[in-house]
Amino acid sequence: MEETKLESSREFFDMWVKTYEATLGKITEIPAIGPSREKSEKMSKGLPLYFNLYSTWMDTVVDFQNISMEAMKRMNAKNISLEDKTGTENYKELYNVWMESYSETFKEFLKSGHFSSDMGKFMSNFLDVQKFNRDMLEENYLKPSNLPTKSDIDEVNKELYFLKKQLKELSGKINELSENK
Amino acid sequence: MYELSSIEKEYNKLMSGFQIFLKMPEISVGTTPHEIIYTEDKMKLLHYIPTVEKTHPVPILMVYALVNRYYILDLQPDKSVIRKLLDDGFDVYIIDWGYPSGMDRYLTLDDYVNGYINNAVDIVRKRSGLDKITLMGICQGGTFSIMYSTLHPEKVKNLITLVAPVNFDTQKGLLHVWAKNLDVDKVVDYYGIVPGDFLNSGFLLTDPFRLMIDKYVGMFDRIECEPGDDACQIRNEEIVKNFLRMEKWIFDSPDQAGETFRQFMKDCYQKNLLIKNKLELNGKKINLKNITMPLLNIMAEFDHLVPNEASIPLNDAVSSKEKEMAVFPTGHIGIFVGSKSQKEVCPTISKWLTPRSGLDEEESRGPEIKKTKRK
Repeated sequence: MEETKLESSREFFDMWVKTYEATLGKITEIPAIGPSREKSEKMSKGLPLYFNLYSTWMDTVVDFQNISMEAMKRMNAKNISLEDKTGTENYKELYNVWMESYSETFKEFLKSGHFSSDMGKFMSNFLDVQKFNRDMLEENYLKPSNLPTKSDIDEVNKELYFLKKQLKELSGKINELSENK
Repeated sequence: MYELSSIEKEYNKLMSGFQIFLKMPEISVGTTPHEIIYTEDKMKLLHYIPTVEKTHPVPILMVYALVNRYYILDLQPDKSVIRKLLDDGFDVYIIDWGYPSGMDRYLTLDDYVNGYINNAVDIVRKRSGLDKITLMGICQGGTFSIMYSTLHPEKVKNLITLVAPVNFDTQKGLLHVWAKNLDVDKVVDYYGIVPGDFLNSGFLLTDPFRLMIDKYVGMFDRIECEPGDDACQIRNEEIVKNFLRMEKWIFDSPDQAGETFRQFMKDCYQKNLLIKNKLELNGKKINLKNITMPLLNIMAEFDHLVPNEASIPLNDAVSSKEKEMAVFPTGHIGIFVGSKSQKEVCPTISKWLTPRSGLDEEESRGPEIKKTKRK
């Protein structure tokens, strides 16, 4: 299948980010901006993440458009004749050919290393954006409100996990000792 | 005129299908009578009430996968694997893993295999008064049972695996292909507890048109009754009920304990360590050669999730003298549900297991069970 990439858009975006950082972006580095400097720096780090997600999403959309076209071509190639059939038979035959063509073509595509690699990139970029959003939420809302963050909860869960594990081991040992008495 | 009447007929069929859906009472699954005999965290150990007066002495402990729920083995009363095994005289237990929550994100493969499964095995051994029991692992639960049997062979009399992967280096199953490119660390680090819906989307994507469109069209297509044909109407209701039971099961996907998911995906799907005898659980090496008990390895010919290539190598990797393989012309789910399961799969299991479920000479002298320490 033909590869479709948004390389030129990505190059343009990278160039734009570099230009911004070398010109207007410098303003955020002025010490007078003070405490908000750190925040705006963190926020600006999200932009490339969004762009990466957008470009991999577009790659995926284009892939699926191409594969739909391929499925349609295969369906047309089957050259079904509906002339002698009655209403619902027409529909059923058309449906069956449509299902078979699309299902098989998509399965071939989904099995390809191309899809697997693109889906892996998409998931990775998606999770980067999700993490960035969560970090921003924690930074801007949870921490100032003195509410627990995900890492706070994870810490408690970890502690609980090890305590439970220890408790189970100790109970096991006690049972063993009492059984051996 | 003919066309119009046939369109009207199809329309009526669709409407009667909708009517059945709208009137459908709550559907029930996992109805075979049972008792909960042990609980540990979210895990429950279920014992099914025997249906025969005298069961075979050696009980069966079934271990299902962490993905989806155990009740696929008891989905509908007339086509239940569990009921069939009970009727064939077996004493059956099964592990229900429950629904892990945030608290369980740090549970490891070792906790599942050497913790929960080992404790369940000990309970069943104690209740039966035997040193060894039959372990029957299904899908990922089969992989866990294989791991368990290598570490605790002294507690497993027979090992049965159903559609269980052991060799993950295959291009035949889509999950095997996709897993290679998944950034597992990123998934686990972000979610902690990996959402069941995330995994379910992956399963649906393995055959999107058939699983998201065709099966629903097919369901309505099967509804065919003339007005006033009550017997047919009852059949229709059963068709819809069974369809909904399956839908309930498909979308009942528990979240996954993050650390277990991490190790299973990386060590099994990505590095394929299990078949190479290089997998470790908490420092203990899993060596498939330690499996010496009789083995029955069951596969589905058209399995799109666990291709035969993933299961076949088990028989060559173990040291068991008695080892058999059976492949049935059905899909992954068809092994547990449907007429093939009842007419071919279950009888094969019973036939193989019955002569191996009696007491050995040593065991018939009387039980001497000691709870063995977790390794």
